[in-house]
Order: sequence, then structure tokens, then C-alpha cells
Amino acid sequence: MGALSFLKESIFADEYAARKGFLQSLDPRIKTATFFLFIILILFIKDIFTLLCLYVFCLFLTKRSDISLGFFLKRTWIFIPLFSLFIAIPALFSVFTPGEALAGFNLMGVKLVITYQGVFSAALFVIRVITSVSFVVLLSITTRHFELLRVLRIFKVPQVFVMTTGMCYRYIYLFVEIVENTYVAIKSRTGTKIHYKKGQHIVAWNIAYLWMRSYRLNEEVYSAMLSRGYRGDPVTFNEFRAGIKDWFWLLFSAAVFVVLFYFNLQIKN
Amino acid sequence: MHIPDGYLGPATCGFFYVVMMPIWTMASKIVKKTLNAKQVPLLAIGAAFSFVIMMFNVPIPGGTTGHAVGGVLIAILLGPWAACIAITVALVVQALLFGDGGITAIGANCFNMAFVLPFTGYFLYKVISYNSAVDSNRRVIAAGIAAYIALNIAAGLTGFEFGIQPIFHKMASGEALYCPYGLNVALPAMLSEHLLVFGWVEAIVTALVVKYLQKQDLNLLKEGRA
Repeated sequence: MGALSFLKESIFADEYAARKGFLQSLDPRIKTATFFLFIILILFIKDIFTLLCLYVFCLFLTKRSDISLGFFLKRTWIFIPLFSLFIAIPALFSVFTPGEALAGFNLMGVKLVITYQGVFSAALFVIRVITSVSFVVLLSITTRHFELLRVLRIFKVPQVFVMTTGMCYRYIYLFVEIVENTYVAIKSRTGTKIHYKKGQHIVAWNIAYLWMRSYRLNEEVYSAMLSRGYRGDPVTFNEFRAGIKDWFWLLFSAAVFVVLFYFNLQIKN
Repeated sequence: MHIPDGYLGPATCGFFYVVMMPIWTMASKIVKKTLNAKQVPLLAIGAAFSFVIMMFNVPIPGGTTGHAVGGVLIAILLGPWAACIAITVALVVQALLFGDGGITAIGANCFNMAFVLPFTGYFLYKVISYNSAVDSNRRVIAAGIAAYIALNIAAGLTGFEFGIQPIFHKMASGEALYCPYGLNVALPAMLSEHLLVFGWVEAIVTALVVKYLQKQDLNLLKEGRA
């Protein structure tokens, strides 16, 4: 259940969002909107150098937001970018990306050729993935999660999704706790390695049990909602305030977006 | 099967957002109409449940583990439209808070996992288990088959989405701008691992959960409770 522990640590730690750094001081609405702009920009960029500049800018923002670079690099490179790096390796070779030969070698009698096109494709792919993931993670760790989910309203997301998302977030924590406790209980009672078939039964039983508990929880939650004044339409408070710093940041991000987008358009395919 | 940011080009990402818009709108309208006020929290609980299912490591032969997506299971438990909303919410939470699955790829991820997976699986489950008793073995088998086929269709679609990137987004000199592998590599790669490993994990988990629910609380499998 390593994934569960990792999830608990990474998602529910609001420690970084509570620090007094640059990004933490921004209005969550403006911060989210500008980060979405950056993520869209990254998607369109065709130039490795521009992507690298955006990645360095992201690391700069990380430092300015009082987040240790070591932690951030570990948090962002593990999983998706490392996996992407791994799957990009075959693309270096002419078998998958034919083109201008850069280098060649023999591997167990098979001649492998690295092409310029392969190196460019693989590098662009990995840098694009790590830059996107870094921006998303930076937004996520510098914003309180309930605020981040509430911000979805400014993107005109239907209320049913926003309310469900907010409530879902709370239940994830509860469910993770239930599952973790169940696993500890099973482990402490078996104390030995079990056959995979038995393991599958335990997992399935856990999922079924979790659903039964969840379903029963539904009624209690509805009563709790009623007691807090729920009358069919959810009401949410909006206490976000944008200051001069937020507007400057918005202007700056919009300018970066327009300039880089324009230069990107000049690059011919 | 979660597609991260950077794997798909802007055209594909935009296309799937456009495709998903009417589906999300219809899902919220249908769910609002069919779900009574008392069952509103069920959607959130279903979303959290769908999120947590993906965290279970399922042991597979050889000492390693895989994980189930649970899309068909959620559709059997909540109905396909409510499952669409629940899985969408789970995917949004994963993308926004966990960085798993891209923000620009939410449309494509939702199309594969919150639309194709639950709807295909639910339809197959209904066809195979047609007229059978809720506690019958046919339901268990139907759940397993539906999960296996639906997951492989969704995986095939994901492979297709990866594979068309070099066709649409390539420099004149041959450099790929997004996922660098064409259909001849991406499709077999996605399909083989799902046909051989993850499809079975999904089928076994879905069938066993239905079996346990039949034994423990039959009402949870009855039509129209959600």
C-alpha cells in the first residue's frame, strides 16, 4: 500500500501552501488562471530552448515560493517524467525515428543508429512533459486544495461537478484511512506472504467492503448537509480578493503567453 | 491509462474537450433528474471510491502488482451517467492535485475512462446478464467479461490517440512534436499489456467485487437504487 501512503503525504500536506512565499500570496483564482495559460502555452511550443526557459522559470518560481528545489525535483520527476524518459529512449533510434544519422553502434550484432530527428523528438517530448508536470505540481502544492477546487467555479464548471469535487476530496482522505487500517489489520493477522490468488480475493473483498461502508455513509452525510442548511442548491462563499500584485502577475503572464505564442507561430513545421 | 500533459497535441486535446462537453452536460442533466436529493452525496462518494480503487495494488502472477481502473464496477453500482460524473471528478482531482493525467488531456482521459469504459462495460454487463437473477453467477461472469472487454477498448482508444500524434504533429524534417510513436507501435503496446495483464486484473477485481456484494448486500446491485 505504498501508493496510499504516498498519496496521503503528497495530497494532504498543506504545509507548502501555508508558507509565505510568492505564489502562496497570490489570489488562487488568478494564480490558477495564469498557470492554466502556461500549461496551454507549453502544449503549443515547438522549440526546445523556449520550453527549457519555461522550465527554469518554473524552478525560479518554486524557489521564490519557499519550496526546496530538492523536494520539488523529486516530487515532479518521479513517476510520469521518468516513465516518459524511459519510453522516449527507443525513439532515439532510426528503427522508430528515421532520419539523419548522428551516431551508431553495434549491440549484440544489431547495428543501432541514433538520428538527429530521434534525439529532437525524444528531448522535446520529455522536456514538454516535465515542464507541464512541474507547473501543475507547483500550482497544487502552493494552493490550499479546497481553494483550488473552489476556483473551478470561475471556469464556469457546472455546480454539480464543483460540489461533487469538493466533497469527493474529503472522502478520499477518509477512504484512504479506512483502506490503510484494513490493510494493517490484515497484515497483522496473516504475518506471512500470501498466494496471489488469495491476495486478489483480499483486494476484491476490501473494495466491496469499502463500497458497502460508503453507501451507508451517504445517508449520514445527507443528514449532516440538511442540518447545515442544504436545501437542494449548494451555496458556496467567495472570499477571494485580488490585489495590485495579482493584477501585475496576470499582466506579466498574459504578456509572456502572447509573446511566446507569437514567436512559436513563426516556427515553420 | 492516464494520458499526461505533453503526450497529445493541441488539436487532439481540443477535440476531446469538444466531444466531452455535451456528454458532461447530458450526464449532469440526467443525474439531476434521476438522483433524488438524498442521494446527492453518493456522487461524491462514488468519485472518491473510483479514485481509491485505482490505488489498490492487485497481486498478479510473478510477484508483481497491477491496478484496476474500476470504471465498469462504478457503472454497475451507480449507473453509467452517474459513473461518468464520478469518474470525471476523480480524474480532475487526480490531474489537479496529484499531477496524474494531464490537465490539457482531461477531455481525452474522460472520453476513454469516464465515457467509453463505463458505457461499454455497462452495456455488455446488461446484455450478458439479461434477465438473470441479481444473485446469479451469470452476473459475476457478465461483470468480469464486461470489464475485460471495456478496458481493452478504452486502452485501444488510448493507443490510437497516442499513435495519431506523429500523423498530425510532425516537423517537415521528420521530428515528432508530441508522442513520438505511430499507430504501428502505440496501438500494439497499449493493447498487448491490457489484453495480457491489466484486462485480467480489471476482470477479476470487478467479478469478485460483484460476487462479494451478492453475498453481503444484494440491494447494492439492484437496479434503480442510485
